Amino acid sequence: MKDNFSRSVIIALNDIQLQTALDRGTTRGVNNRIVAMGETTDANALRHQARLARERALNHLPDLLQQLERNVIANGGHVLWARDAAELNQIILDLCRKHDVRRVTKGKSMVTEESELNHALEANGIEVTESDLGEYIVQLAGETPSHIVFPMLHKTKEATAQLLHDKLGMPMTDKPEDMTRFVRGVMRRKYLEADMGISGVNFAIAETGTIATVENEGNNRLSTSTPRVYVAVMGIEKVIATWEDYAVLVQLLARSATGQRLSVYNNLMSGPRRADEPDGPDVFYLVIMDNGRSRILGTEYAESLACIRCGACLNACPVYQNIGGHAYGWVYPGPIGSIVTPLLLGPTRAPKLPYASSLCGACQAACPVEIAIPDMLLRLRRDLVQAGDPTPGWRIGMWLWATAFKSPVLYRLGGKMAGMATRLLAGRSGKIKSLPPPFDAWTKQRDFPAFAESSFRERLKRRRGKQTDA
Amino acid sequence: MPSAREDILSRLRRAVAQQPTFPNRPQAPYLPVTRLAPDEDLKARFIAEVERVKGTVHVAPDDAAARRTLRELLAGRNAQRVTMWDEAHIPLPGVTALLQELGIERIQGSNAEVATADAGITGADWAIATTGTLVLSSGPGKPRMASLLPPVHIAVLTEDRIVPRLEDYIAAQRAQRLGVFRRSSNVTLITGSSRTSDIEMHPVFGVHGPLELHVILIENLSEMG
Ligand code: SF4
Repeated sequence: MKDNFSRSVIIALNDIQLQTALDRGTTRGVNNRIVAMGETTDANALRHQARLARERALNHLPDLLQQLERNVIANGGHVLWARDAAELNQIILDLCRKHDVRRVTKGKSMVTEESELNHALEANGIEVTESDLGEYIVQLAGETPSHIVFPMLHKTKEATAQLLHDKLGMPMTDKPEDMTRFVRGVMRRKYLEADMGISGVNFAIAETGTIATVENEGNNRLSTSTPRVYVAVMGIEKVIATWEDYAVLVQLLARSATGQRLSVYNNLMSGPRRADEPDGPDVFYLVIMDNGRSRILGTEYAESLACIRCGACLNACPVYQNIGGHAYGWVYPGPIGSIVTPLLLGPTRAPKLPYASSLCGACQAACPVEIAIPDMLLRLRRDLVQAGDPTPGWRIGMWLWATAFKSPVLYRLGGKMAGMATRLLAGRSGKIKSLPPPFDAWTKQRDFPAFAESSFRERLKRRRGKQTDA
Repeated sequence: MPSAREDILSRLRRAVAQQPTFPNRPQAPYLPVTRLAPDEDLKARFIAEVERVKGTVHVAPDDAAARRTLRELLAGRNAQRVTMWDEAHIPLPGVTALLQELGIERIQGSNAEVATADAGITGADWAIATTGTLVLSSGPGKPRMASLLPPVHIAVLTEDRIVPRLEDYIAAQRAQRLGVFRRSSNVTLITGSSRTSDIEMHPVFGVHGPLELHVILIENLSEMG
């Protein structure tokens, strides 16, 4: 990735369409999660239970991967290993050749986003179709996903309709229902023609060699059941020990990601079609990719590997809510992306991401596996400073805030950004010692309409009071 | 040169060798996720949960009523072609005869053919009350496509197959040494109708999976004495 974070942020903040989409989307996401977690037996106890399940899996990672491998083979499947993204793409290309594959449908897979598999396949004359509705629209637009659960969160329904109209001749409509039905028709043919289906993996259950995927649309079920070759692709950290672990994790994932009790289709794949089964893929491969993850295990960042990619921390994050996913520059946006991206790509490739946070703690509070995201962001900042990073972090933080302050979408952002800025300022030293120039300018303009939010004024007064007391 | 597999595994072994990455913390017995009243009526809860996720449950007091419901569902959709599990795996006798009587053709064979069916009829291994979930495993006479390709999925279920929670389903499989997850290439937990929230997180039902989900729930005979 290129480090053009600052530029991307300015573009994002000035993009009215993006701001509208983010506002509508993240608000629903946060509300859905809060309601769904509140309806459980004991949300905090369950999060802790889920956390322990992930910790145990990471503590025994090499053993569990080997157990998984043995059981996949016992089920009649094959297991292949990839050190990095290039090896992963080569493995899949080789499989395409071996099985004479012309057309591929893909269920959602973040790992193949890491490796940019679609480009590799297309460069070799293989047609790839993303089958998740959001991923498909993103692919059609020639874009990349902006959220790990809602890939087209950056797009409004109006823009989606225009795209489907322009590219596929869909009659114009403003109803998501009509757009969805239209895409269903297009995709149906793709599934039936595909030679290979590729999917990501949400959990790999070691004790039976079962691949679990989680989805709502049915595209993943179709991609993993209809084509004659099925390839599942996972990062090494996706393995879990037991079915009891699966039961808690899969339920917290659904509740945290979308507010559902369970996602519509929880697909559990154990090898290829058995001789006596009437349908399903003839061949099954599991590809296990490292791509930098083994470097993280055993370090103080190991808990980032516990992530189950629910996206709750993205929705909850005041920075993500304002800049969206693309500004983060790589596959994993939001708070967890700000940790995982520098860890996987190397700190110098994304030096600004650890600062793209107000350390407000909303991410950690939302996380179903209790990942201490703010702590890790601070450690990453420390690492950057120790490595002689030329840009002091607080400057980027201030810049982020000041930029947002000046942007034309100020009206709607006001409350959120202000809260973020005060937390950022207070977060550095515990107190605000002096108010920096843009802030100071605002305090003079008392009648500035965007910040009429009284809670902000109260907070500001409180902060200033604290300052005088000190 | 070591293989990628050896490389990755040895790196991981080195990482976990010195000390475990996380302290080994004792694990208390698992707390189940969903709430359940001590006197919960599982049938009522299951029906309520399925309807929340845009499925329809048709309660049938006996087989004859279940067949009447099935007939209405098929006739109401003007179904000409139906794909289904073998009758042995559907807990309702007389489905084949009913299709013949209605002049409905039974489709089997390639995915492309099955995709032309107007409805798919299946049984279900289990149902989960607190989440409104159906559990379907693949196996001889139990094609995956019957619950996947047709626009309408009709699952026939007897009340005694309802367990309270996902955790209870897993415990039951544990008691059977997890055999189903080794035997069946596919087990699917179906919770409601195919849906998406991709467009502005606005829920839309009927995406790539079936547009309609119907459960014909046959009540227990024992209840009627
Ligand atoms: S860090 Fe936690 S909240 Fe964020 S995506 Fe991962 S599991 Fe979800």
